[in-house]
Amino acid sequence: MAADLQEAGLASLVDTTISVITNDGRNIVGILRGYDQATNLILDECHERVYSSKSGVDQVVLGGLHVVRGDNIAVVGELDDDLDQQLNLSQIRAAPLKAVQH
Amino acid sequence: MSRKENALDLAKFIDKGVRVKLSGGREVEGTLKGYDQLLNLVLDETTEFLRDKDDPLRITDETRSLGLVVCRGTAVMMVSPTAGTEELATNPFLEPGAAE
Amino acid sequence: MLPLLLLKTAQKHPVLVELKNGETYNGHMVQCDSWMNVHLREVICTSKDGDRFWRIPETYIRGNTIKYLRVPDEVIDKVKEETYKRDEKRPNVFNRGRGMRGRGGGRGEGRGQMDGGGRGEGGRGSGGRGNRGRGQHQQL
Repeated sequence: MAADLQEAGLASLVDTTISVITNDGRNIVGILRGYDQATNLILDECHERVYSSKSGVDQVVLGGLHVVRGDNIAVVGELDDDLDQQLNLSQIRAAPLKAVQH
Repeated sequence: MSRKENALDLAKFIDKGVRVKLSGGREVEGTLKGYDQLLNLVLDETTEFLRDKDDPLRITDETRSLGLVVCRGTAVMMVSPTAGTEELATNPFLEPGAAE
Repeated sequence: MLPLLLLKTAQKHPVLVELKNGETYNGHMVQCDSWMNVHLREVICTSKDGDRFWRIPETYIRGNTIKYLRVPDEVIDKVKEETYKRDEKRPNVFNRGRGMRGRGGGRGEGRGQMDGGGRGEGGRGSGGRGNRGRGQHQQL
């Protein structure tokens, strides 16, 4: 049952923009093109958002297709495109995330 | 999808020099004497490349001899042939026409 | 779309593999398997800090040490193409399955829903034997 719900959750996100936080503390935003049971993800048109407490958010274009291994994924989040467009990234200050502690 | 096969046939490396990176950061080089489907390896005349004390990511030219060893498959991260492997003095990605 | 299917389709294409330890490997994908183990040829390995480089003729990387891979954009189109070709044939499998006994139907659907590739082919093959006549109609 739980597995069904999770499956449905990711299925509904296919071809939408998602935000992924990886175990090394990176925030990657991209379009979800596919996934599997191990939460390996296919991300298209990726960019990384690099946070800093001193300056605005730096959007690094990673470009192209990425396959992110599920092992390395901490969080997968839906991203509201409209809301996201309203963000002024250059005004946002945030300390970078630390890597996951195993 | 893919069959349950191994992506690499290690048979061609038998009795040849191979470099092996192990999880945890150790790197060894030796002659491949045997292997199994779990990627457990038997290496002969093995040398380990010691790492910088202050920077464990950096391997140095310092080595120590280990002799005949078995590398446990679950710890093997990377296997490549010794022959043809070389460290490059310059960044190959800065040159025009470099691979990717 | 399944990530491993994309990787399988990326064979012969240049890829970048970043390992959990931060090293990156740029090379041509020779093969990958269902554990995401990959075999690369003509590889350039870059250290974590990005200031040391090695040229390696070929290398085998264990899947579970991989953080992520970059593959060329055109590979996803190739996957879509191949999936489309399969899907054109797949309705036959479904129809046959439903029209036949329950057991056959179950089998056909089960395989159809899985990733495709080897399993899909299996489903197609076994269905074809019993329904060759109808299959030919579909083609016309």
